[in-house]
Amino acid sequence: MNIHDQQVDHVTIITIEGSIDALTAPKITEHIDGLVSDGKVKLVADFSGVDYTSSAGLRVLLAAVKETRSKSGDLFLVGVQPDVEKVLKLTGFTSILKIFPDIDSAVKSFA
Amino acid sequence: MNNGKKIALVIGWGSVKCAAALGLLRVLKREGIGIDMVIASGGGSIFGALFALGYDVEEIVSMNQRLWTHEVTEKTNRLAILQLILPKIFKVGEYFNLRDDQLMNERLFEALGKQTFKDTTIPLFISATDYKTGKHIVISQGSIYQAVRATVALPLVFPPIQVDNQLLADGYLSEPLPIGVAIQEGAQIIIAMGFESISQEARNSFSDYLLHLSGILSNNLLQASLSFYNLAHHSELFIIFPQFEDDIHMFDTHKVPEIIQIGEAEGEKLLPKLKQKLEFSQ
Repeated sequence: MNIHDQQVDHVTIITIEGSIDALTAPKITEHIDGLVSDGKVKLVADFSGVDYTSSAGLRVLLAAVKETRSKSGDLFLVGVQPDVEKVLKLTGFTSILKIFPDIDSAVKSFA
Repeated sequence: MNNGKKIALVIGWGSVKCAAALGLLRVLKREGIGIDMVIASGGGSIFGALFALGYDVEEIVSMNQRLWTHEVTEKTNRLAILQLILPKIFKVGEYFNLRDDQLMNERLFEALGKQTFKDTTIPLFISATDYKTGKHIVISQGSIYQAVRATVALPLVFPPIQVDNQLLADGYLSEPLPIGVAIQEGAQIIIAMGFESISQEARNSFSDYLLHLSGILSNNLLQASLSFYNLAHHSELFIIFPQFEDDIHMFDTHKVPEIIQIGEAEGEKLLPKLKQKLEFSQ
């Protein structure tokens, strides 16, 4: 699994590639915790390269959303693939997370 | 008083019981606690919409007494009886409804008219269900009358309605207490008033029987979603389930003053905790 970010205005775009499971989730948690510690709380996770997420991935998302929101930020998702979207829908995550079709619209919604 | 905290009021499905939200709003108004957004489902949407449109709580109480009278839900839809007795001839389609909705539509339109979501003073979200797919639909634009009419379309009782390209029915089918919308919209403090719907009284008719079954389903759906939202929210979620000593039936509009008082008492109980939360940062 690969993870890297880029800054667009005041928003940090985190690009994740690969599967998110119990083995890879800690790396994402560590990465997001680092961003939040640096005061970067407006986050967009680009999921276009994520082909699978387990419950561990869902826990990472939940923790990140709660952490950023408690600091007046948020975490949005973009490019969610159909299989992953299905998991998010079935587990109720689509009712608490905002999902955008592309990075531009997600960044704009932070404005 | 809000100390910069975004407060959402969520009013769940509960037919006439939703009037308890007016009692709660009365207490919040007295204390100068503002609501920044309203999310409502089913009967709660009528009060939520009027509040979001800027009506004073006492005005809503008075409108409710005038508009939401017993005859609104009294008239039987004769076609439904024929559909039940002779299903092969009078086929049951998407619009099967035991009660005639004409007077209800007129009264809702009298209250809400042609106002749209753009006319609200605070953001308003109305929760409904896509009748065909069962998907939860959040309405936040267009005609408020249509949105409210959609979410009060209790299956078997009132027909769903077509809004744009979707056939929409009662919000309780997908989200009896749509807290998720408040979380998604970034509310920090969420005050959610929900209602359980099981009656312990004897069931004397086929419709009572069906509504009891439907109540079991919605209560379990409510409990499951509450567990999730409690874990998912980053800040404070105050959940209020008013306790009614007697069974309140869907059409007990004459009990509204008593229901409002119960809501007011719940508001008083909430107040110390809410004030504490508003005074101290999270």
